[in-house]
Order: sequence, then C-alpha cells, then structure tokens
Amino acid sequence: MIVDAHDFPNGQMLTADVCIVGAGAAGIAMALELIETGIDVIVLESGGLKDDRKTQSLYAGTVADERLHSPIDRYRQRRYGGSTTIWGGRCMPFDPIDFEARDYVPHSGWPLGIDALMPFYPKANRICEAGEFAYNIGAAFKLSTHPMIEGFESTHFTSDTLERFSCPTDFGARYGHKLRAAANVRMVLHANVTGLRLNASGSAVESVSVATLAGKNFSVRAGHVVLATGGLEVVRLLLASRDVKPKGIGNDHDVVGRYYMCHIAGTIGTLQFDRPLGSVWHGYDVSDEGIYCRRRLALTADAQRRLGIGNFIARLHHPRITDPAHRTGILSLLYLAKLFIPYEYGKRLHGEEKADLRTWLQHLRNVITDPFYTVAFLWHWLRDRTLPERKFPSVIIRSRANRYSLDFHAEQEPNPESRVTLSNECDVLGMPKLHVDWRYTAGDMETVKRALSLLADDIRQSGIGRFDYDPAAVEIEMTRYGAYGGHHIGTARMGNDPRSSVVDTDCRVHGVENLYVASAAVFPTSSQANPTLTIVAIALRLATHLRARHEQATPGHAAALAGVAAENIA
Amino acid sequence: MKQRIVVLGASGFIGRRVIAALAASDWAMPVAAMHRSQAALPPGVERISINATVESELAQALKGATGVVNCVTGSYETIVAGARTLFDIASHTPATLRVIHMSSMAVYGSATGDIDETAPLRGDLGPYSAAKIETEKFAARGGNIVLLRPGIVYGPESPLWCELIGRLLMARRIGDLGLAGDGICNLVHVDDVAKAALLALQAPGIEGQAFNLGMPQAPTWNDYFQRYAKALGAVPVRRIGHTRLMLELKALGPALKVAAIAAHPVGLSPPVPIRPWLLDLCRHAIRLRVSKAENVLGMKWIPLDDGLREVAAWFRAKIAA
Repeated sequence: MIVDAHDFPNGQMLTADVCIVGAGAAGIAMALELIETGIDVIVLESGGLKDDRKTQSLYAGTVADERLHSPIDRYRQRRYGGSTTIWGGRCMPFDPIDFEARDYVPHSGWPLGIDALMPFYPKANRICEAGEFAYNIGAAFKLSTHPMIEGFESTHFTSDTLERFSCPTDFGARYGHKLRAAANVRMVLHANVTGLRLNASGSAVESVSVATLAGKNFSVRAGHVVLATGGLEVVRLLLASRDVKPKGIGNDHDVVGRYYMCHIAGTIGTLQFDRPLGSVWHGYDVSDEGIYCRRRLALTADAQRRLGIGNFIARLHHPRITDPAHRTGILSLLYLAKLFIPYEYGKRLHGEEKADLRTWLQHLRNVITDPFYTVAFLWHWLRDRTLPERKFPSVIIRSRANRYSLDFHAEQEPNPESRVTLSNECDVLGMPKLHVDWRYTAGDMETVKRALSLLADDIRQSGIGRFDYDPAAVEIEMTRYGAYGGHHIGTARMGNDPRSSVVDTDCRVHGVENLYVASAAVFPTSSQANPTLTIVAIALRLATHLRARHEQATPGHAAALAGVAAENIA
Repeated sequence: MKQRIVVLGASGFIGRRVIAALAASDWAMPVAAMHRSQAALPPGVERISINATVESELAQALKGATGVVNCVTGSYETIVAGARTLFDIASHTPATLRVIHMSSMAVYGSATGDIDETAPLRGDLGPYSAAKIETEKFAARGGNIVLLRPGIVYGPESPLWCELIGRLLMARRIGDLGLAGDGICNLVHVDDVAKAALLALQAPGIEGQAFNLGMPQAPTWNDYFQRYAKALGAVPVRRIGHTRLMLELKALGPALKVAAIAAHPVGLSPPVPIRPWLLDLCRHAIRLRVSKAENVLGMKWIPLDDGLREVAAWFRAKIAA
C-alpha cells in the first residue's frame, strides 16, 4: 500500500521487519522482491508522487569546483521513483575484470566476484525492462547483424558487447500497482529520514527518525534498516547520525564519503572512415523483444591488463553540436532548442557555452539549408521518441561524410581524496548539507589517453580510415562537462576490512548488525558501465539475504515458505 | 472391456481433444455427443446427436456409460441448463457414473494472489463466471462428480488465446503491454486438460472434489505475448503504451465494431477490436495453485515453449490456408 506521512499522528512509532530508506531503483526493486514473503516492509520516501521543488531543495549542497561537478540537486530526484524518473535507461552489467584487485588501479578489488551478482542480473534486467540478460551480440541476436565498423581489426577492442536500453522505466510509475496491492509493504511518502538512532553500544540501529516538511515527526523501529538512497545521500545519513558515534555511523576509520567516483566521459576528435557509408553502423539494433541495443568499442580485459589502465568504452558520435561547422540542420536545431531540453540531457548535448550572434545565425543557416533531413529527423523523433513508451534512446545522426566524433566513457579509479563530506550548513529539517569535492587522478587521464591512442593506431592499421585528435586536449575534453552526472559511486565501499571499507559483502555496515546499504555507494570500483543495472542487482541480492535472515529467525515461517518454494520448483 | 465415456460438447475446442485422448487410450470407448455439429471425429468414435438440456435425451445417451465429461460451453443459459440436467441425472444415478465437469478459474472471479481450490468462489467477472459458479452449485447436490477448473486453455485451434492473440500479435496491436500486462496468464495446454479429464475419470476417491489446472510457473501476460510472438516470428515485439491501448479501446474498438456490422453483408471481415475484458484479464494478478492436481491426479504439464511451437505451426498453417 502507498500511504502519506502527512496522515500520521505526530510522535507515532511504526514497526516493521525491514525499513527501506528511499523509493528509487534500489528501494523499489527490494520492495518488489519482498512482496508476498510475509516480511513486514516499510519504505520511507522523502518525496511524493510528483516532483516538488521544496522537497527537491533538500538535496541542495555545495561543490568544491563548479566546473568539475554539477550542483548536487541535479541528476538525482528526491521523489517517489527516485532518479529513475529522469533516467536515460542505459543498461549493462559490470565486467568480470571490474571486480578484480588490479595492482595498476589503486584501491581496486571487490570482496566478491561477478559470480555473486550473476544470479541477480537477469531479474534486474527484467525489472529495468531491458529484455533478456544478453549483452553479447551473438547471444542477443540469433541472426547476424551488420558489423559496427566493417574491416576494423583489433586485438585490443571488441565491438561485440552491447548496451541495452530500458524504456526508460520510471520504477515508481511502472511498479506502483504492485506496491499498492502488496499487503506486506507500506510505502510512506513525504517521510524524510533525519537520523539513524543506534543503541548505546552502537552495535545496532534502534530506530529511524523521520520528519515531514509540514513539521510532523515519527519513528520507525525495524529489524533491519536499508539505506537505498543514492551514493551521495548515503554519506549524509551515515555521517549526520552522530549521537552515539561522533564520527558518524560506519565511519570509525574515516572511510565514509571517500573514494567518490563518477565516470570519466567526453567527446573528442574526428573519425574519418574511407569505406562506403554502409560499412559503419553506429545506431541501434532492435532485439526480438523490442529492446534497443547498441554496439560500442570496448577495451578488452587483456588490453587493460597489458596497458595497466582502467576500463574504457567508446561510441561513434555526431560532431559537437555547439560548433556550426558541422553543417547539419538537426544538430543546429538541437542547439537552438537548448532551452527546451532538460538540464540533465542538455549539458552534454550543448554544454553551457555562451554563443555570440554570429554563431546563432550560422546554426540558423544550417537548419534552413538542410530542411529535408531536419524534417525527416523530427518525424522520426516524434514517432520513435516522443510518443512511444519505449523511447528511441538518443540522437543518432547519419554522417554523409562517414565522419564522426568519439564519445568515450571510462572507469574512474578509487581515490580517497575524492570525497563527500558534511558542510556546516543545514537544510530546513536540520540535516547538515553535503559538500562534494570530486577529483580525478593522473591514472584516470592515463586510462583515456592510452585507450584513445591505441584506438587511433588500430584504426589506422586496419586501413579503414583515421582517428585524429589532439592528445594535449584529452584532459580538457574529459573534464569539459565535469564528472559524469548522476553516477555517484564508492562512498560507502564494500570490503572485508573495516579500516578501508564501510560495508561487508552482504552490504551490511561494519559493526552495525542491522544496517545495510543498497546503492552505488557500495561499489569499490566504477567500471565503464552505467551503474543502475548493477544497483538493482545488488538490491535484489540484499533482498534475498534479508529474506534468508528473516526465515532463519522465524523457523515456522521458514518451513511454510520452503513448502511454497518446493512447490514452485516442482 | 472398454468403458463407455460420453463427452458432451464434443465438437468444441476442449471436447475434441478429450475425445481424441479417450480414443487413443486402451481403456475408453468415447462417445461424442453433439447438438447440431457435424464436426469430424477420429475413426471409430461413436457420434450421437442430442440436446443435452433435455433430460430424457441425456439419460438415454448415458445408458451403459461409466463416465461423462461435460465440455459444454456457450451462453450463460446454455452452460447452466446443460449442467443442471446432467447433475440432476448424476444425483440419481448409481455412483458408478463418474461425471467430470469442466468448470473454470473464472469461478474465483476477481480474487488475487495465490489461489487454491479452497478459495471462496466469486462470480463477479460477468456472465461466464456467474454461469460456472451456478453449475458448481448444482454439483454440490451430490453424485460422483469431479470439477476441473482450468485456467487459460491454449493449444492449436484455441479461438481466443491462440488465434485471436496470434492475429493481434502479427498486427503488432498487442505485445509488451507494460504494467497493463503484469497479470498472471494461468496457461494450461488443452492436451493437459484432456489428460486431467482422463485421470479424473479413473482416479478413485475424489468424488466431489475440485482441481485447478494450470502450469505451475505461469508467465505474466506480457511474457506470454513475448514468447508467443517469438514463436510466430512476429518480432520485434512492440511496446504498446497506455495511450495506444486507450485509443484501441475508446476509438478503434467502436470503429471496428461499426465496420464489422457494415462489412458483414458484403462478406468482408475487418480486424477484430480489442475488448475491455481482455485487458482486464491481462492485469489480473491471480495465480492458480495446482499442486493438488499434481499430487492427487499425477498431472505433469506440457512446457510452454513446446506448446507454443505446436501452436505457432498450427497458426502459420491456418494463415497460409
């Protein structure tokens, strides 16, 4: 059921078996997984069913360098459905190498391997509505598809891996009917968590303090508490709960908020292919289930090891929109329409560069002199993007000159100096605001530089064209728009050693027996992959763990569930 | 000596398969009771033409029979009248006449969640569900009666779940319905229904009992549409969003109904409209628990992919014809 905290009496104490904080990708996935288990679940969601400026402003905070990091109330949504309400929908799993301890990536290595997540990825894929868990071209497409770049031969890069796209699915809207119908799940809206209250010894969470913006206060007492907020808010909740632990919960060794990663991304150079137009395919293929899939150039694990660099992928991209020299009407139209494009998408589309009148007129000329393609594109956009529920994922422009730019997305290495802390300011509920000091390293630059250089060599040696870029401009391009927005990773990292990690392999905060984190905050490394699919997989894994713990604690219940399970298997 | 088993409604989708299963057995001698149909029968199967709502005709047909399988369907009146007559006879005949009555999961009406045979009956989903409840009430009067409550009976020649759905999938008018297709599609292959009828005819000590029939790991309707579409080659499957579904219901539906009326005199058949009840069903989160049929009758179920391969081959042949 979905209820509103405004309807609760002041000072009420709610009880539950499991209390989940946050109704975004992780929180809703967990709640779905716990439906009909007999486990009494409360989900505390700060926002309501719709966007609300006052609630969203609770996310406000400061950043150390505004050129390097977006304002922290951007790219994340404090409302029912969380940031899935603005999600782009790109899904892909982490690669096996991402879990390895690599001596050339400081602080790398998960305490578990990809095998621990594999049982949960297929279901995560279904919840994300990204179809089958098939991320290789051969597995996803039984019939052969056109190669990404005909004639491209490389032992360093593969174009056989895919990214698959969600609708994109707003988890709140999509699964609301199940949550409403679930007798054992209470989704409480407008419920802002203001603190985690530990017992005197600090070994367990006794209660969760909750407040509404209208001034009501209540508490939740639960057997298990799960922080299913994003990687920034996890830090805030842990560090701000300092009545028993003065340094914050899980922060005895000053690890909470450190190792903050996003991704290193940018668009660079010019790829000019000498082959016929049809020899390059940089668009989407549609799988039998109707899922948009896209190939990309992925640096192989062997190449990463040989070069001693992080994970890296690249896509063929249209020329930079802001420069009217591309002479493409639709790109200029996108530039001119920048005011109508949401900030989160527009930033990397058109940047925040100021344009003079001459540039505007040149863009206008492009639109006027390229009317047929512009109209055809707009029709495609209306038919395939605006109207359908399953949306065409991104702007794909066919280059008549067989010329592209390169869009890259690279792993950022864990760095204890890249961190999220509490500031001295508080929000209207008295919660300290966050201060973000995102940093990149020489190793991050090295990953991009060496991967680009290798790609340029491989393209040249394949005899299919050339990739020209300015090696001296790599750092400028990879930081042009700052840290990749919306990927908040590593701030409560998983590990076996409490001195260098915050949660254990069960996502349980070290030293606190009933507090868990389901978030990209627990990822020790960032991979090349967008995080949402793995967040959902981790959340499902945690739900399974909590279910097992609950069954152990209630033997009669466990027997009944086992009976059901056996029956289902039969 | 083979047992004489009368099948009422033998020309229907389920009745034909029950006849075929009985004819293929080494213990039964099926008798196909039909009202007006001249449908073809397997070689050697006896055909009788009766009106099953007339007690004297039905009693005559059942003479010497050890079992009867009631597969009669149709309007509320047809279903209820036929069952009333049959169960009247059953309540007066010796316990050696085993009556297998095809009820339906529709007796559970709008109930949701996991449903076993002890769940309360609610005839709140229209005339069909009300008729099935009414027939089950007659069965409670006594007699050697076994009730089968199949879910969504699919298989070659299924007019609704395979032919209609197949046509809609081919036309990309249904597919991935999003949250509108999250309901559970309690599929059961028609051959499994026939098999259950045969097992129920022979099983001792199950008088007066009811059995749910459906595959244990029933897919959602979205899954069913996806898998059937793949079997048909109707890919890529399209996401049919809420707005599109509403347009189908509110605009296209009435227009197609008018078109059907107008086209009938000239022998044309425009596409069929998607009816509201179908979409209601696709949302319905009811999961039949079928362990009783497995444990008591010994049912094992045809895997969905096997069933769909067979259905797709039938559908393609039908379209080609």
